[in-house]
Amino acid sequence: MLALLGVATLMLVAGAPWVLPEAAEGTNLKPPENGEVSIIDDSFTLKWNRSGGYFKNVTFSAEYQTPGMGNWRKLLGCQYVTRTECSFSSLHLRSVYENIKLRIRAEKGNSTSQWHEVPPFVPFKKAQIGPPDVRLKAEDKAIIVNISPPGTKDSTMWAMDQSNFLYSLVIWENSSSLEERTESVYSRDKIYRLSPETTYCLKVRAELRSSRKFGVYSPVSCITTTVEHKLPSPENIEISAENQIYVLKWDYTFENMTDMTFQAQWLHAFLKKIPGDHSDKWKQIPNCENVRTTRCVFPQSVFSKGIYSIRVRAADGNTTSLWSEEKKFNTEMQTVIFPPVIHVKLIGEDSLRVSIGAPEESENKSGYQLYPLIYEVVFRENTSNAERRVLEKRTDFTFPNLKPLTVYCVKARALVESNRWNKSSVFSDTVCEETKPGNTSKAWLIAGICTAVFSIVVVIYVVKALLRCVSYVFFPSSKPPSTIDECFSEKPLRNLLLSTSEEQTERCFIIENTSTVTTIEETDQIGEDYKKYSSQTSRDSGNYSNEDENSGSKISEGLLQEEPV
Amino acid sequence: MATDDDDDDDDDDNDDDDDTCLVGLFFTGIFSLDCTLLNVYQRRVIWQNLRLLSRMSNSFPTECLSESKAFELPLEILSDAQPLKRDIKEAFYEMAIQAFNIFIQDTFQSTWEEKHLRQLQIGLDEQLRYLEQCLEEEEEENEDMKEMEEEERKHSRDTVSQLSNLELRRYFNRIDKFLKDKKYSHCAWEIVRAELKRCFYFFYKFTALLSRK
Repeated sequence: MLALLGVATLMLVAGAPWVLPEAAEGTNLKPPENGEVSIIDDSFTLKWNRSGGYFKNVTFSAEYQTPGMGNWRKLLGCQYVTRTECSFSSLHLRSVYENIKLRIRAEKGNSTSQWHEVPPFVPFKKAQIGPPDVRLKAEDKAIIVNISPPGTKDSTMWAMDQSNFLYSLVIWENSSSLEERTESVYSRDKIYRLSPETTYCLKVRAELRSSRKFGVYSPVSCITTTVEHKLPSPENIEISAENQIYVLKWDYTFENMTDMTFQAQWLHAFLKKIPGDHSDKWKQIPNCENVRTTRCVFPQSVFSKGIYSIRVRAADGNTTSLWSEEKKFNTEMQTVIFPPVIHVKLIGEDSLRVSIGAPEESENKSGYQLYPLIYEVVFRENTSNAERRVLEKRTDFTFPNLKPLTVYCVKARALVESNRWNKSSVFSDTVCEETKPGNTSKAWLIAGICTAVFSIVVVIYVVKALLRCVSYVFFPSSKPPSTIDECFSEKPLRNLLLSTSEEQTERCFIIENTSTVTTIEETDQIGEDYKKYSSQTSRDSGNYSNEDENSGSKISEGLLQEEPV
Repeated sequence: MATDDDDDDDDDDNDDDDDTCLVGLFFTGIFSLDCTLLNVYQRRVIWQNLRLLSRMSNSFPTECLSESKAFELPLEILSDAQPLKRDIKEAFYEMAIQAFNIFIQDTFQSTWEEKHLRQLQIGLDEQLRYLEQCLEEEEEENEDMKEMEEEERKHSRDTVSQLSNLELRRYFNRIDKFLKDKKYSHCAWEIVRAELKRCFYFFYKFTALLSRK
């Protein structure tokens, strides 16, 4: 029994550590959980949660590993920390663009927990842009800003972005915070168009557009603009190109302009992107120093191809005004577009082919070639004022179906192919060309057919008339005139007189010499009767119409027949 | 329609001396550009910059050959099918701005002529500004759509587009480190110049991608 008791107490003693809460950690230390990293500029913050409640004397340590490094390394600033977060900087990292792995574990005394790994990440991608440092200086109608890029100068996170930062600035009047103005500025820039003696407040944030990063706003800082300056600054700077010169103009109004002189300066525009002070890099524009008019003229050779900023200020004896608002000027955009050269050629009989060519002078200009050109072609008949305007991208095209024997005139000008930029050349020379008399074969054919038909009809009539004449003259008709009919009413007499068309001679028989005749005739009588009958019949066939004649011949026959008896 | 006479683009002298009697036309903005023709402009300006790079030095000095290094230009970023036009613009912008960053450092005054360097800086700035303007425009257009779609598309879009930008940054980071390690020696600059010519040529070939929609 005692042995049993002893064993029980031994077990209790042995089991005691398990029961006590402190002993709960023991050798099985639970690893931390939910490890997270947040990055602002160069400082990394690693946070995690304890697991299994709060326990005393537990510390945490972290390690990191990058590809190509081999083994895990201790993370400086995150060794044996008691809190559940630690920070370290990226300054000792080789590259912020490499994948990085982190792991954390808990420690107590000599025992350590398992490692808890944070999901791998690319520091640059996770990094947030911190607030930039802003310094202000006031003028009467403008505020000069001097913004330092986020992070430190030797920042590893933004090492490749020092010139990339664009700053978004929000400015408002202190008294009325409703009217806000947002502007995109460079690290050293000016906010214009402000009122004198007014307090303005602003905040700035840095942006990396291409990486889609928008930073945290800086704290608000305020400044009051100064009293209005004695001499105003020039305004509305304009620059234009003419022949081989540039003309720079500006506006200026002041009560006494007699002794006023002006000065203009230029700067390469890209320098603004580079952090630092470039105020010593402004250069004087030749012919624009101490000019008395509000314009000056200088040769185009002063500016090689590029983008420039221009500023102007006025001076009156010893006092000078503040610099005007800077005007950006791109030489490319000022180049003159030359008018094209047109050639017009007649194709067939009713089409004109237009070819547009570049003028010779433009061959050497690199300026306008940067932009694709389209052409506006104006096409009209020489005599009329009606025009046809066509926009063409091609340099060779045809106008078909034109009127024949008409003079057409063409002129064209080149335009930059852009929706928002109305830059064009002057019109080229007008070229005129005449179309040929059109479609001769067809027209003639139709005309020919018509005239042929017409003439045939005419000819037929003429011939008919002629024939009638001819037949009237040479082949008169047998019909007597109607007046004679009135005179002779008796038919037989009429017959005797008028029957000239009969061949009466054939019917003449010998009557008087009867002896010889009779014998002959007797012998022939029968024959003659026969003959008569036959002749009659034969004659009858020829002369059906003349009944009177037959009757006449019958009388003679009758006489003849009575005698021989 | 742009004509393809790229080989005749740009000449040595930037002076416009031989104008005839013509009046140029005034306009207000510095870039009244049409962003739909971005690919045309980019093509020309990249070619112009490529030529400027070539002209900076006569020929690659042979003694520097031994120091040359493979920078591993990430060719795959543009040859893959990019779903969004914005991502391509961003890639071009990233390239332009990193090249600009390299050439605005002051550490090579003895290597090349100031005049040539200045022209290149101006040319790179020009290349940048076109893209900046068009990216800004696009962002303004997307302002309304942003809130609606951003939730859905954020993650998927980020991984694809930002990956290519990351690759470009790693590439330029290698170039940067090379220059630092070699202490900006003459040979180091010449090697970097040759490498950037390759890079520009590669992007020049892919300007057509900017026009896809």
